[in-house]
Formats: sequence, C-alpha cells, structure tokens
Amino acid sequence: MHLKMGGTSTIRWIGRVAPLLLFGALWQFVCSAHVVDTEFLPTPAMVVAAMGDLLSGGEIAGNIFITLFRAGAGLILGSLCGVWIGLMMARSDKFKAYVTPIVGGTYSLPKSALIPLFALWFGIGNLTAIAAVFLACLLPMIVNTYHGVVTTPKVLIWSAEALGTTDRELLSRIFLRNALPDILTGLRIALGFSFVLAISAEMIASTNGVGKLIFMYGENGTYAYMFAAIACVVIVAFLADRLVLLVTGRLLTWHESAGAAYERRVS
Amino acid sequence: MRRRNRLSQAPWRSIASIIFLLLAWETAARAHLAPPLFLPPFSVVSVQLWQSIADGTLAIDLALSLARAFCGLALGVTAGILLGLLMARVRVVEWLLDPLVALGFPSPKIAFIPIFVLWFGIESLSKILLVAFACIFPVIIGTYSAARSVSRLFLWSAMSLGSNRKSMFLHVILPACYPRIFTTFRIAVPVGLITTFTAEMVAGGGGMGATLIYSQRFFESPTVFAYIVVMLCVGLLLDFAMLRFQSHYLRWAEG
Repeated sequence: MHLKMGGTSTIRWIGRVAPLLLFGALWQFVCSAHVVDTEFLPTPAMVVAAMGDLLSGGEIAGNIFITLFRAGAGLILGSLCGVWIGLMMARSDKFKAYVTPIVGGTYSLPKSALIPLFALWFGIGNLTAIAAVFLACLLPMIVNTYHGVVTTPKVLIWSAEALGTTDRELLSRIFLRNALPDILTGLRIALGFSFVLAISAEMIASTNGVGKLIFMYGENGTYAYMFAAIACVVIVAFLADRLVLLVTGRLLTWHESAGAAYERRVS
Repeated sequence: MRRRNRLSQAPWRSIASIIFLLLAWETAARAHLAPPLFLPPFSVVSVQLWQSIADGTLAIDLALSLARAFCGLALGVTAGILLGLLMARVRVVEWLLDPLVALGFPSPKIAFIPIFVLWFGIESLSKILLVAFACIFPVIIGTYSAARSVSRLFLWSAMSLGSNRKSMFLHVILPACYPRIFTTFRIAVPVGLITTFTAEMVAGGGGMGATLIYSQRFFESPTVFAYIVVMLCVGLLLDFAMLRFQSHYLRWAEG
C-alpha cells in the first residue's frame, strides 16, 4: 500500500525521521555551546566521522558479524528447542509436571548471571556467548509456544480429527499453526534477549565481538568511536527487530490481529 | 477425576524432578564426572551459601543490588507511565518520541553501559540510571497502547456526565490502564534485575554481580554457584509476589 503512494509515504517518512534530526541538532547545539565537555559527549559530527572510519576500516563489520553469529546461533538453537519443549509440555501432562519447576525456576533467573559460570565451563569466546544466548532464548520460546498450543480451540482439533487427520498432521497443521502468532511473539522477545546476552557475554568474557569493542573504546577513552560502535549496535538491533516484524506480517496474513498489529507498527 | 489427578500428581512430580536434579548434581560432582572447580557438589555450595549468609557479605551485596534495581525501576516506571500517557493523549509528544522509542525499544541497553559509566561514574548512580533506561521503553509502549485502547464507551460516558480533562485523565484513563501497566511492570522487573546484575558484572562497584564475577576470576566456584542460586530465588520470589498482587488487587481486570 505504501509503495503505491510514493509521494505521501516519503513525506510521512520525513515526518518520522525529523524528530531524530531535531534530537541530533539539539545534541550538536549542547556540545557547540559548551554546555557539556566534548570529552564526555562527542559531537554528532565526530561520531559520524568515527563511524565512517570504523566502517571503511572493516573493524566494526568484522566484530558485528562475530556478535551476529553468536546471537544468531543461540537464537536458532534456543528457538527450535524451545518450540519442541513448549509443544511437549502442552501435549503431555507428565512431561509438563516434571519440566514445570525447572522452567519456572530458570525463567526468572537473570540469565546473565550464568555468564561467569559458562566462562568457567567453556572458556572465553564463542561457546560461552552462544550458551548464554541459547538459555535466554529458550525460555520465552517455551512459554509462548506452550501458551499457543494450550489455547488451541477444541473445535479445531475435533474437526480435524473428524476429517481423518493423523496425529502427526495434527501437530503441524493444527497445534503449531494455532501457536504460530504466539511463537512469533516469543521470537521477537528472544531476539531482544539474544543481542543483550551476546553483548553482555562479550563484555564479560570475550576477546572479540562488538561488545568487547565498545568496552575497549570506553577503557581507552576513544569516546567518539565508542558512541559510533553503540550507534551501529542500535541500528543493527532495530533492523533485526523490523525483519522479525516483517516476517511476522507475511506469515500471519491469515491472522486478523497480527495483521492489524503489523500495519500499525509500519505506518 | 482428571482434576483430582492433577492436584495429587503435579506437585509430586515437580518435587521429584527438583530432587532428582539436585541428586544428579551431587552424585555427578562426587563421582568426579567434572572437576570440582567446574562443578562443586551441591552440599559444598550449600555450606558456602550458609557461610556467605553468616558473615553478612551476601546481605550487603543483595541489599546493594536490590536497592539499585528498585531505584532504577521506580524511576523508569514512573517516567515511562508519564511519557506513555502523554504520547497517547498529546499529538506533538507522540510525533517527537515515537521514532526515539521505536529505535530505543529493540536496542540492547547493556551496550550503553560504557556511556553511563563515563557520565555518572562506576558507583550506584550509573547503574540506577541504566536500569531506568532499560525499563522505560517497555513501560512507555505498554502504557501508550493501553491508553490508546481505552474503551470509547468509558470516555463518552464520562464526557456526557460532565468530566473535565483532569478528572477524565485521573478517574477514567489512568484506572483503565492499570492492568496493562501492571503487565508491563511484570516485564520491567526482570529487565531491571538483569540489567543491575549485568552492569555490576561489567563495571564492578560492588553488589551481587560484582562479587559473582570476582569469585569466578579467583576460581571460587562454590561462591559462584551460591550467588546464582540466590539470584534465582530473588527472581522467583519477586515474580511470585507480583502474581499474588495481580490476582489480589487486579482481579476485576480479567487477565
């Protein structure tokens, strides 16, 4: 829809970006007027220059890819296991009874507390970060999948059974299909966690990755570069979140509420 | 029949699985399946936990971390509710803040910690503000969408009964938002705890997170495990308390 109306959508887009530019102008003004020392708050111009430098040098790209790899690997593994466990919990009372206390207990545990433990077990680097991301992503996926499967209307199950759907088909065509909106909601939450945990793990126990990079620039006092690296993280996280929303919108065109929610966020 | 089964079986199975887990931990550690450095037995961890409680270090760390988390939460939630309501009711505020919230909400807030340390030092202030910064976005979004979806019927009824802007806000819109605001509060509390612990791990300055990371650096595994157990219990207790609060005071809201 917004592709057809090219003119109005450009204006709308400018309208949405304008506050950010305003914010940037205010930032520049605060620095130029010496309200704050540029030692503590580099001007936007300095940050943009630093960002250009980082991007052309390839330093940020390499480290962001390392972080994305860790976050992505943990997210994918955690989501797959989470959907499986959530489905099992919803379909088997026995399994649920055994697993519930473990899920309930670890759900409210701040997952970053496990980073020192994982650092002890797996050393410094990929495995620690991936394990932390995995656990953080696992729990929202379990809880959301469980909720989605449990709330499957009985009518749907009965109708499918009456039409001769086998148990295996029932799983993918009824339960998982019905849980899809919840699973995608869980995925969006898990995505947020995956960045937080990957970056935390890098700050605490890693020699590379964008978290370590930010931390190093902070310790060296090259603050323009630190701000530029943080800005890159914010942009990447924003784009990843939009990607999940886009996929959600595409996958759930059949689902009334999700479609509306998608429209609302995009416009 | 089914109901009675659930009541009699579920707790039994739950307790069994916890006991099984602890036993597996203890035997695995005692049988040296993993070096004690990596996996100290549960009994050793319990003794260490008791020692930390007895000599008061745990109490100090816990009090410091919780104080930081709650100050940050109070700040972030109050500001978030205010901004969310303003965004829902005032067009200019919505125009101004919407892109910032859209950009800030998905960003990993922990990446900002070097900035907060640079500006506010390594003591409590930087952590409190970082927690507030991490909690404010979900609260803004939750309050905003709650205030936008207040039933028109309520608004019309209040208007036709002659409410002015102020009483409309205080007596209609805000109470209608309470349940949703509380739901976002339940999201914000763990975020606040995670941010506090992580910030302490990364930047030091005392508290649970700092002690945890020091113990790990000096390979005092029992302390690491004991502190993780305490963090787990804190998270559980807070969540339980919030659930009780919700079912007690917000029963009228139905979910």
